[in-house]
Amino acid sequence: MSSDTNEIDINLRAQIDRSLRFPLLFFFTSAAVWLVFGTALGFVSSLSLNFPGLFEGCAFLSYGRVFPAQMNALVYGWGMQAGFGVALWIMARLSRSTLKNPATVIVAGHVWNAMILFGLFSILFGWGTSIMWLDFPKAFAPAVVGTFIVIMIWALGMFAARRDREAYVSQWYILASILWFPWIYLTANWFIHIDEGAAVIKAGIDAWYVSNMIYMVLAPIALASAYYIVPKVIGRPIYSNSIAVFGFWTLAIFAGWTGMNRIMGGPLPAWMPTFGSAAAIFLLIPALAVAFNLVKTLGSRSDWISYSPSLRFTIFGVFAFVVTVALGAIMSIFPAGKIFQFTHAQAGYDLLAVYGFYSMTILGAIYFIVPRIVGCEWINGGWIRFHFWFSAYGTIAIVAFMVFAGMAQGYIINNWGEDFLTSVERGKPYLASLCLGWGLIVISNIAFLFHLGLMAIKRGRTDEVGPTLIHKQPEDYFAETELSKEGANA
Amino acid sequence: MNSFRGFILCLGATFALPWIFLIVVPFKATSNLDVVEFEVEGEKVTYPPARVGAVRGAEVYARNGCAYCHTQMVRPTYAGTDMWRPGWAGRGGEESTLRSTIPQDYLGEKYAYLGALRHGPDLSNVGWRITDRKWHYEHLYDPRSIKPTTIMPSYRNLFEKRRVIGQLSADAIETFEKNGETWEVVPSNDAKSLVDYLMSLKKDFLVPDSLAATK
Repeated sequence: MSSDTNEIDINLRAQIDRSLRFPLLFFFTSAAVWLVFGTALGFVSSLSLNFPGLFEGCAFLSYGRVFPAQMNALVYGWGMQAGFGVALWIMARLSRSTLKNPATVIVAGHVWNAMILFGLFSILFGWGTSIMWLDFPKAFAPAVVGTFIVIMIWALGMFAARRDREAYVSQWYILASILWFPWIYLTANWFIHIDEGAAVIKAGIDAWYVSNMIYMVLAPIALASAYYIVPKVIGRPIYSNSIAVFGFWTLAIFAGWTGMNRIMGGPLPAWMPTFGSAAAIFLLIPALAVAFNLVKTLGSRSDWISYSPSLRFTIFGVFAFVVTVALGAIMSIFPAGKIFQFTHAQAGYDLLAVYGFYSMTILGAIYFIVPRIVGCEWINGGWIRFHFWFSAYGTIAIVAFMVFAGMAQGYIINNWGEDFLTSVERGKPYLASLCLGWGLIVISNIAFLFHLGLMAIKRGRTDEVGPTLIHKQPEDYFAETELSKEGANA
Repeated sequence: MNSFRGFILCLGATFALPWIFLIVVPFKATSNLDVVEFEVEGEKVTYPPARVGAVRGAEVYARNGCAYCHTQMVRPTYAGTDMWRPGWAGRGGEESTLRSTIPQDYLGEKYAYLGALRHGPDLSNVGWRITDRKWHYEHLYDPRSIKPTTIMPSYRNLFEKRRVIGQLSADAIETFEKNGETWEVVPSNDAKSLVDYLMSLKKDFLVPDSLAATK
């Protein structure tokens, strides 16, 4: 590339980042607030499992309300919102076009946040629906889809105005999730709330909805981000384009069938959960394809994980994706499923999908994007390291212990001679670590919110030292490499 | 642009398949799920029998998130041993009535709260298991007074405190003295509806073998 085109490129990138600065900062900071709020609710709900009498008299802090509020805050307040920012930015960069109307996006973002606020209040103060991940009162549904479209339509616009005819795999994933979310969400709301039908099928549709949110809405955004971040940080192209294409289409084919396996043995026609189980097992194909492709892309540069925050979070997320799918596959076969179904393991699985996989990958992208849009570097590598380890330990502790707790609990539930309360007793020792895990995650996210807040008001580093890394690299370790890509100037 | 159109078509098609065959068709096929008529020992029986729905109670159940800890489905034997757990299936555990839950069990309900986790026991047939209203009130008000090791939170928000004038209310669950006056704790309308609902939960009636996967 000649230096002229290089100059044009740098200018274009600067323009893109400038056009996205305010919408993205808005999305990321408000998402981070919901992240802290959601994980704090997670801590509260785990406390009330340990000390059931703790919040006596405070109905809004009772487990049955805090638990749904926590998941909705994490999925819609944090997850979707941070996803908007990441998807818009990746789309803009890859399409090489600017965001034409940041003001509309910011206004829609405010509407989204207002909805989350009222929705969560509704749940906490006793107006929730107890329909998993659709706990907001049903009146919110049109607004959720409307706002989503107003925000993501700009990603479509930027894609239409793209300069390369070729579309990148990250763009595919983003387009897919833009198409699928309204479809899935409207389907679920229509059949559950509006159309007259059998109550049982409605419950099945909800189970399907949860799984589709994970694999057809959240996962594509996270994978788009992983496919962008890894090659970018490493400075080499994706290992195999055909594996990427293969992984994409296998996800598209299988993910839509998953979900009803959550209620296997339920009063649905048996083929419905069975299809879900089969699809959940087949999902291992795209998961392994994506992970293999990205690990191969890393190749000999895997030690960069020690230095680059974006890379470290992303790779953790990709591994968590494989573990999520594997756990889902194990739980959906009958011999294991009858133990794990309706136990702590199910909650552990949801958390692994939403936090371990999706959130960690998206956090990786945020660590990459924010220095570029604000023009300064993250203040302190130590804080990022803290954020990573506390989040990672927290997630691993929760998921591992919840799976063990689920085994202990499920074993007793199936042992019909034992009193039911024994199954609760057997789960109790593990619940202490649930509290601990949530505590670690909350603390790590408070540190992140603080760090992000300082970046948003441009208090980041502006010296010439280069990008902020998790660990200081050895002298001239990167002399011949391109880790400078990590920084604000890339 | 052609390849883009093809791409979007493929995206749509991959998802349309499960959408149609897993969601729309089964939903429509079961939307006029009807009462079943069959014969038992020469007599015509219907299932479910005409039963007053406890819709308001179901709402209280949902609003307090009961479904996040309690399930309402009895799994058939290939997916667990729920049926054998005392009191979970059938009419109070009567062996000839044991069966797993079927779609007709939820007729008349707006939504089937099948549940997410079992922090507490299954409630499919709690209407058979616990027949005492007072027990429910006391359990909702202070679960640990009845089951010391339960992790159920107390639902004091469903109860009201009232000054006693004349006689105690029939459903008062506690009295206390304040400023020289006697007060009582009584269930609110929400609590009454919720208990109505819980007592109506019976998914146990005899159904033809073709509908139920028993044993």
